[in-house]
Amino acid sequence: MNSICLAIGGFSIRLSADRKIQLEDGYLPFVENQNVENPDFTIRCVEHLPSIGFDASDLLFQAENEFQKFYSIYRNGNQLAFVIYNQQTNNEVQQVAFLDENFKHWTIHCEVTDGLFLPLRYPMGPIVMHYITLKTNAVMMHASCAYDGKKARLFTGFSGAGKSTMSMLWSKAGRQIINDDRLIVRKQDGVFFVYNTPMYYKDIPKKAPLSSIFLISHSPENRIKKLSGAMSITRVMAFSIQNNFDRRFIEGRLDLFTELCSQVGVYELGFVPDESVVNFVLDNE
Amino acid sequence: MEIESLFHLKSKFVTREVGNELIVVPLSANVAQMNELFTLNETAKVIWENLNEGADMSALIQTITDTFDIDRHTAEKDIAVFLQTLEAMLKK
Repeated sequence: MNSICLAIGGFSIRLSADRKIQLEDGYLPFVENQNVENPDFTIRCVEHLPSIGFDASDLLFQAENEFQKFYSIYRNGNQLAFVIYNQQTNNEVQQVAFLDENFKHWTIHCEVTDGLFLPLRYPMGPIVMHYITLKTNAVMMHASCAYDGKKARLFTGFSGAGKSTMSMLWSKAGRQIINDDRLIVRKQDGVFFVYNTPMYYKDIPKKAPLSSIFLISHSPENRIKKLSGAMSITRVMAFSIQNNFDRRFIEGRLDLFTELCSQVGVYELGFVPDESVVNFVLDNE
Repeated sequence: MEIESLFHLKSKFVTREVGNELIVVPLSANVAQMNELFTLNETAKVIWENLNEGADMSALIQTITDTFDIDRHTAEKDIAVFLQTLEAMLKK
């Protein structure tokens, strides 16, 4: 039996298979050097796709755009079944995965392609990461984050709002960038931390204590407004990764974001895309 | 859309009270509605909570005028606007 242990978002995840498991480069810095005896999550990786179909009446969720499907989620007894589609070859099934009712144990089926056995090939990996957060005190966000050694500031918004620009500006100002696109926010011992996650490029695992959240947009001048209450919760939650087909998921998220938005500052930030925004935030948050 | 129909659509949402406001999140079978959660202010929250089986416009107006000490004409107008907006959002 071959196994690899990953540490993502402070969670331990053990993958096991009868053959050697390959990982995309971005996962390699997250590999643990030693085997974890009782991992938080397990993933059994199986060569070959199963020859089963799913009834349309069991379809719970579909991620797709006008050009292609990304993945489908079905009810499968007490489990969830995921059908993941290859992003390059339209609608070809890339993985079929099963998740137990406690969201602790995965079984991922995939074929060996070009000699590679890649059970976490995109988008399976981020889907696994999202479901890891669903029954824990954690959430995945579309966001960038800058850390100055004491405070981590998270920047989120619609696609094109400036998350990557903001990362670049804060990096130029000497701050460490936790990530410029996808983060896990997790509550541990009463404190919210931000973690980076494996991306398509290699980066070391990072963790920082979250101090404030900025909902960003481009603006002709820098402006900031503090948000609170229901408005802060809905505005921040809108930029988290969500598969809202089950009301228990939504209720869990509402619990988490209610607590998060009461503990960290939440601000609306219109910014000029130059270095002036860094001092503006430091002077006005 | 009738109030009765709006009441039935309520089951497709998860709500959470925060202070005097109500957060409303749609259950969804696709990623398109990820950003479509919204907040109801105090007045809208009372209207939402009173969209019950058998509710009618007259009862809603009475509830609003009793709760907020406003005249019936204003209450009726505000309720109508809110219901139209809600119908448009719930139908997405």
